[in-house]
Amino acid sequence: MTDALTSALPTRAGVRRSAPAAVSTIALAAMVVLCASLQPDVLTVPGFSLVLSVAVPLIFAAQAQMILMSIGDIDLGIGSFVGLVTVIAATELVSSPLLGTLILFALIAGYAVLGALIHLRRVPALIATLGASFVWLGLGLFVLPTPGGTTPEWLASFGAWQPTSFPAPLLPILAVALLVYLMSARSTLGVRIRALGSNPTALERAGLSPLSSRVAAYTAAGALGVLSGLLLSSQTGGGDVSSASSYTLITVAAVILGGGSFRGGSAVPWGVAIGGMALGLVSVTLSLLDVATNLQSAVQGGIVLAVLAGRALIGRVLR
Amino acid sequence: MNTPRNLLSRPWIWGFVAALLVWAVIMAVSGQGGGQTVSLALSLAPYLVLVGLGQMLVVTAGPGNIDVSVGPVISLAGFVSVGTSSATGSVVLGILAGLAAGLVVAAVSSVAILGLSVPPIIATLASGLVASSATLVIADGFTALPDPGLRNLLNLRPLGVPLLAIVVAALTVLAVLLLRGTTYGRSLTAIGQNTRAAERAGLPVVRITALTYLASGALAGLAGSLLATYIAPTPDLGTRYLLDSIAVVVIGGTLISGGRAVPAGVWGGALFFILLDGLVNLVGWSTAAQNLLKGCLVLFVLFLAGGGSRRPGAAPVRPTRRPSTTAALPTPANTGGTTHG
Repeated sequence: MTDALTSALPTRAGVRRSAPAAVSTIALAAMVVLCASLQPDVLTVPGFSLVLSVAVPLIFAAQAQMILMSIGDIDLGIGSFVGLVTVIAATELVSSPLLGTLILFALIAGYAVLGALIHLRRVPALIATLGASFVWLGLGLFVLPTPGGTTPEWLASFGAWQPTSFPAPLLPILAVALLVYLMSARSTLGVRIRALGSNPTALERAGLSPLSSRVAAYTAAGALGVLSGLLLSSQTGGGDVSSASSYTLITVAAVILGGGSFRGGSAVPWGVAIGGMALGLVSVTLSLLDVATNLQSAVQGGIVLAVLAGRALIGRVLR
Repeated sequence: MNTPRNLLSRPWIWGFVAALLVWAVIMAVSGQGGGQTVSLALSLAPYLVLVGLGQMLVVTAGPGNIDVSVGPVISLAGFVSVGTSSATGSVVLGILAGLAAGLVVAAVSSVAILGLSVPPIIATLASGLVASSATLVIADGFTALPDPGLRNLLNLRPLGVPLLAIVVAALTVLAVLLLRGTTYGRSLTAIGQNTRAAERAGLPVVRITALTYLASGALAGLAGSLLATYIAPTPDLGTRYLLDSIAVVVIGGTLISGGRAVPAGVWGGALFFILLDGLVNLVGWSTAAQNLLKGCLVLFVLFLAGGGSRRPGAAPVRPTRRPSTTAALPTPANTGGTTHG
C-alpha cells in the first residue's frame, strides 16, 4: 500500500529536476489566461495558431542550442546561422532546388567541421561560434545584401497551412521535441552526447570517442538550425540574414527556462518546448496589454528574471 | 625570459602578431607609410579596450561569467552622459552620469546573479534588455549635442598619439597592477581558478564577484560616455561592442574559463579588430566581405593558437584527462609575468 503510494508520487529528486520546467509551465499558463481574458479570440484555433506561430522557429533553434549546451558548449552563432538559412531558402532554393539543398547540407557539414575543430584544437566553443557567427552573417549578406527574395512554394504552403481541428504550430513543436527526446534520451548516441557533457573522462575510459560525440552533437545542432531557418522563412516569406539575430541569446534563455544548465550533461527537449512557447507568448501578451514598444524589451527581461527567481526560491525550498 | 621562444609562448602575443600582419597588408595596399593608419587605429581602439578590460575582469571570475549587457550599457551611457552634460553644462558631471548608468545596470545584474542565482549570461541579458528599453525612452525626441570641448580633447593627438590612448594605456597598466598586487586582483584570479576552493579558503566570493560586474558596468559606461561624445549618441552605438569585446578578450589570451587575465592582450586584440576594419574600408569591400574576413580571421587565429582548457563553456573546474599544465592553472606569479611581458 505504502509502496504503491510512494511509487505513484514523484521522488524528491524528480521534483527538483522537473521544477524549472514546471515554473515555466505555470508562467506559460498564466500568460495564456491573461491573453484570453484580454482577447477571447486567443482561445480559438486560428487565434492560438497565430499566437504560437512566432515560437516555432525559435523552438527549433532552441533545441539546437540545448543539444550544444548538453555537451557543455554554447552556440553564439545560431542567430546568424538561422538568418543565413532563410537567405538560402529565399534565393538558391527557389532558383535551383538541387543546388539550394546541397548548400543547406554543406552548412550542416560546416557545423560538423566547426565541432571537430573546436574539439581538436581545444578552443572555447563560445568564442569559436562567435567567430563563426561573423562568417554566417558575411555569407548571408553576400548572397542577399538586402532583405527580400521569395520562399519556395512548398515551404510557403506549409507556412500557410491552417487545419481547423488543432493549432498547426503545435505539430512541429511537438514533433521536434519528440525527435530530440528520442535522440537524446532513448538512443546510444544521446547517451554519448550527454556523457560528453557530464563526464568526458568516463566517456573516454569507456572506449568511446569524445570527438565523434561532439561532431554528432554539432551536426544535430546544424540540422535543427537549418530546419529553424526554413520554418522562419516559411513565415516571413523571404530571406533576411539579420531576421533571427535575437535568437542567439533568446535560445539560451529558452533552454534555461526549460530547466537546462550551462554545466552540460542534461537534455531537456520538452522543457525547451515550454520555455520557447513562454518566451514567444511574452511579446504577444505585451502587445495585448498595450505596453509601449520602447518598454517591451525591459518587461521581457523582467519576466525572464522573475521566472528564474521563482525557480531559485523553489529550489531552495526543495533542498 | 626574453628569447623568441618564450615570447611566442606569451598568451598576449597573438593579437599583436595578427595586428602587425594586418598593418603590413594595409601598408602594402595603400603604398604609404603606416604612421597615419596607426594613429587612426589608436584613436578608435581605446573605446574597445575600455569595454574589453571590463569584460576581461568578468570572464576571469570563472566559468560561466560573462557580461552581455555591455552593448546596451554603452548606448544608454552615451545618451545619459550627453544629456546630462548639455543640461548641466558640466562635462565631468556628464561622464559621471554615464558611469553611474553603467553601475546601475551592473547592480541589477549583480543582484540577479548573486542573490537569485540566475546564470550570468541570462542575468546580464535581462538587465541589458532593461537598459535598451531605457535607451529607447531617452532617445525619443533627444536633441542634446555632445560637448564640443570634450570632443576636441578626444580628437587631440600630440605627436600622432591620441590623448585617450595614453590615458587608457595608463588604465591598462593600472589593471595589471590591480590584478597582480592587490587583494582584489589575487582573489579574483583565485575565484576564477576554483570558486569552491576560494570559498573554502575564506575569500569573499560574493563581494569580489559583485565588484567585478560593477567594474565592467562602470568601464562600459565610461566608454559609452566618451564614444557618444566622439561620434554621436545613437541607440545602436554599443551593438558591435558586445561581440567585439568578448572576441578581443579571448584573442588577447585571457582564459575564457577564468582564472587568467591578460590586460595587455586586450590591446592586441583591439588593435587587430580596428586595423582589420580599416583594411576592409581601404580596399572598399562590402559589409559582407568585412564580416566574412573578420570571422575567418578570428577563427584562424583561434585555431592556430589552440586552446588551454578542454571545458571552455561554463562548467565548473574538473580534473580532465589532458590537463594543459601551464595554460589551465597558471600560478599567480606566472600571470603577473605574462601581463608585464
